[in-house]
Amino acid sequence: MQTLIRNIFNLIRRAPEDGDAAARFIAKSENFRLLLTANNEALERMAEMGEDARSGRAFGMSHVRASSLKTAASVRGMIERLCRMHPGRYDALKDVFNRIVMDMENALVQRADRPAGPMVLGLDAVRADAMPETGSKVALLGEIAAGLRLRIPRGFSVTGSAFRLFMEHSGLDDEINRLIQITDSSELDELRNLEASIRRAIDMAAFPPGLEEAIDAECARLRADGKGVRLAVRSSALGEDSEEASFAGQFLTLLGVLPGDVAEAYRSVVASMYSATAMLYRFNRGLREDGVVMCVGCMEMVDAVAGGVVYTRNPVAPEEGVLVSAAPGLPCTVVDGSALIDTWIVNPDTLEVVRAEIADKQWAHGVGPGGSIVREELAEGRGALPAIGEDLVSELARTGLAIEAYFGQPQDVEWALGQDGGVYYLQCRPLAVSGRESKPERAPEDEDAPFAILASAVPASPGVAGGNVFLVESDEDMLDFPQGAVLLTRNARPQLSALLPRASALIAEFGSPASHLANVAREFSIPALIGAPGAVDRLSGVSAVTVNARTGTVYLGIRQGQIDAWSGRKAPLRENDVVQALKRVLPYVSPLNLTDPDAPEFTPEHCRSLHDITRYCHEKAVFEMFAGSDHPTANARKLMGETPMQYWLVDIGGGTAESGEEGYISLDDVRSRVMLALWRGMTAVPWDGPPPPSASGFMSVVSQAAQNPALTPGVANDMGRRNYFIVGRNYCNLQSRFGFHFCTVEGFAGDDPTANYALFQYRGGGADIGRRRVRIKLVAEVLERHGFIVEARDDALHARIEGVGREAVERGMAVMGYLLVHTRQIDMAMADPAAGERYRAKFERDIETVLNGLPEAAGTEVTGQ
Amino acid sequence: MKKIRLLLVDDETDFLHAYTRRFIRRNAEIESAQSGEEALEKIEGGRFDVVILDVMMPGMSGLETLRRIKALHPELPVIILTGHANSKALIEGMESGAFDYLLKPVGTDELYFKVLDAVRARRLPSD
Repeated sequence: MQTLIRNIFNLIRRAPEDGDAAARFIAKSENFRLLLTANNEALERMAEMGEDARSGRAFGMSHVRASSLKTAASVRGMIERLCRMHPGRYDALKDVFNRIVMDMENALVQRADRPAGPMVLGLDAVRADAMPETGSKVALLGEIAAGLRLRIPRGFSVTGSAFRLFMEHSGLDDEINRLIQITDSSELDELRNLEASIRRAIDMAAFPPGLEEAIDAECARLRADGKGVRLAVRSSALGEDSEEASFAGQFLTLLGVLPGDVAEAYRSVVASMYSATAMLYRFNRGLREDGVVMCVGCMEMVDAVAGGVVYTRNPVAPEEGVLVSAAPGLPCTVVDGSALIDTWIVNPDTLEVVRAEIADKQWAHGVGPGGSIVREELAEGRGALPAIGEDLVSELARTGLAIEAYFGQPQDVEWALGQDGGVYYLQCRPLAVSGRESKPERAPEDEDAPFAILASAVPASPGVAGGNVFLVESDEDMLDFPQGAVLLTRNARPQLSALLPRASALIAEFGSPASHLANVAREFSIPALIGAPGAVDRLSGVSAVTVNARTGTVYLGIRQGQIDAWSGRKAPLRENDVVQALKRVLPYVSPLNLTDPDAPEFTPEHCRSLHDITRYCHEKAVFEMFAGSDHPTANARKLMGETPMQYWLVDIGGGTAESGEEGYISLDDVRSRVMLALWRGMTAVPWDGPPPPSASGFMSVVSQAAQNPALTPGVANDMGRRNYFIVGRNYCNLQSRFGFHFCTVEGFAGDDPTANYALFQYRGGGADIGRRRVRIKLVAEVLERHGFIVEARDDALHARIEGVGREAVERGMAVMGYLLVHTRQIDMAMADPAAGERYRAKFERDIETVLNGLPEAAGTEVTGQ
Repeated sequence: MKKIRLLLVDDETDFLHAYTRRFIRRNAEIESAQSGEEALEKIEGGRFDVVILDVMMPGMSGLETLRRIKALHPELPVIILTGHANSKALIEGMESGAFDYLLKPVGTDELYFKVLDAVRARRLPSD
């Protein structure tokens, strides 16, 4: 490349009066500048995508899509600029780019194109193989009804096909993705606004033709026996209830729905996919927000005497036996954590009850006359009675174990006892069980015993952790929840799951280990006590506590010994769906296959990644700029003067007077006023030399230089090793390397202010990124004070003045010239705030001197360096 | 400094109001249109330096609007600014002559610099 760069600009040089040639050069230079900007953007974005794949931090699919598209857009911008630098020569790149981008798109898309199935399916026809249409919740229920002859409610499923049709027919797919994309947040309050926007969009969307009719027909079938029917309309999303992600309580279940209201209830369940808590759950679990398919189960309500849950293993103490929970009335209080419930431990071999904990229950839920769910206070004395008899407890345990044997894994089974004395099974799903020994140990931490402030709470998720207590009683409290606090609440409401990734531990006064919130706590490995009477009164106002969810005890203060002794939280991070999607797209982005510009394979057709295109465009742009066929011979002239740095000058028209000596030019012969203004800025105040050495600043530079081959002395900048002034009568462009930083300075100052501008691009440096950022901030402040608009990001800065008079451009050139020279190496000193202040003051003084000396005829007073 | 004349085309009024406020502070003259049809009318009636164009709009799509603008005014730079991260829109938009393709949300500085780049690029002679 070196030889090519020496062959420069002869054509233009030979035709100094040719205004078109000058204009063409300026156009090419501008396209080159835009290409370099896009190049930097593209490389930064590729680096960020790689970092995302490695970092383990949480992000959603919208982030992966946006990163991919932004990187691609920057690369497409480079192609556009290169094509404009030499029309017709590089068009093949566009097809190569399009192909790579469509490959990226295919790597990101998850939803398979399934043939459309029926929009509804009757439960009597559903078996496990219907799962892709009904979701696992409904499919498994159909399977136990058919395979184990268990009684389930009558009903039907609104299928995955119906959901896809709804999304596509109404355009909701695109609209929801757009709303998520523009919100770009994982903050709870912003997600609540997003939830409201998505809810509005779903409310306004039309159902696909035939859906409402199909739902009505199924409801009519249920009503055929003449009884008044009420339905439970439940989510049964694809992937919901899997072992990896239960989504417990994240989606809506509507109870007591009248047949005529099922279609609108379906709409509400679909909308619950986008509740703030469900979105945050997916975000924190790394689950794809674009991959959820909401199937919905619609089942006849059971007028229940009692209801509850069977866990075929106690999730926090698997060796204990089968855990049966029950409450009077509908089973909803068992799973929503809103009240105390009865629990039994059953021996799985003998089916005998080995332990019973009968709570003093206050409430029961039932179906009211209009189909609504009503809460009734239990009569005096009734609340202390067991919700069901021990015979039924044993029977439920036996059935639960049969389901476990049928599916070959522990189960979470929801049931209801009908008025006729028969049991209905409402749901079954795989149960995640703690693999480690976690038998409750009664106060093993003897030395901490005096600090125990709450004992005998029910462990719901194993572990030990400490933090400050934060009581959450309202939705507003949720917004204030601090990172790492112990979440204290009265009821184990499922909505609180949004806080669990930020909580160190959970204590809920009411609820049970069978609640949705307990499920989510176990998924996130957050120690939890659920069922801790009196906890709110005892712990409110207490600052730091340690929650031991092995023993059911809370201690005052941080008990580090206990926390250290618990190592169960260090479960290996599972690579989640979102990271997997990112890793599928990265092979089309990052690998660099085109490394040798002289190889015959250095062609558009051999570009296999966006990085390859970036590399190709950069190489060819340098060629077009400095060695293209219309600039066959070098005719740059060396600038004469006693300068420690050497400069060459290329005139693109009217920038110089003819000089006598071939190959050299003196400042006296320069006619470009903008260049002379720049030169004055660079030279009017002598450079003091590098800042006084400090060991840490010096070491920072040494270590950066060792890591960054671009900083090795002698490595070419974008223009090669020489620093060139490219000048015209009203124009000057300087691309140079000063010390370790790279700069572009450009200005145009003619009679028409609308065409005038001054531009400054500045990046790099020798010190570490922190010091370079401080320097950029200082440079940005100085430029802004002198009328530039500035965009600074990390260690890169773009600044510009546009549409101003000739004099303002020249003053801008002088300021840029000063900064170019005088900010050399000061990044080394930038760890010291006092040094920053000293430089700021000096720069202001010096720049005043520079500008005061800038004459109307800028060329007459410049001095040599 | 001469004011830049911008046409913002987006069906979201919140977006139009927010960016109009931000750009007025940056010494730009803003007009807005809420559909492709309205944008084409405004372009016929006034002189703009740059158009910022959404993709998904009711009625005429952003990409169709872009094609029509480019057919009538090939020199007028159009920056696509969309909330839909859509590969096909990127490809089709750039093939149809968009100056750049940006995704919402975008920082005001970043967008303003793209606008300035587009204004300058417009003044450049084409080879």
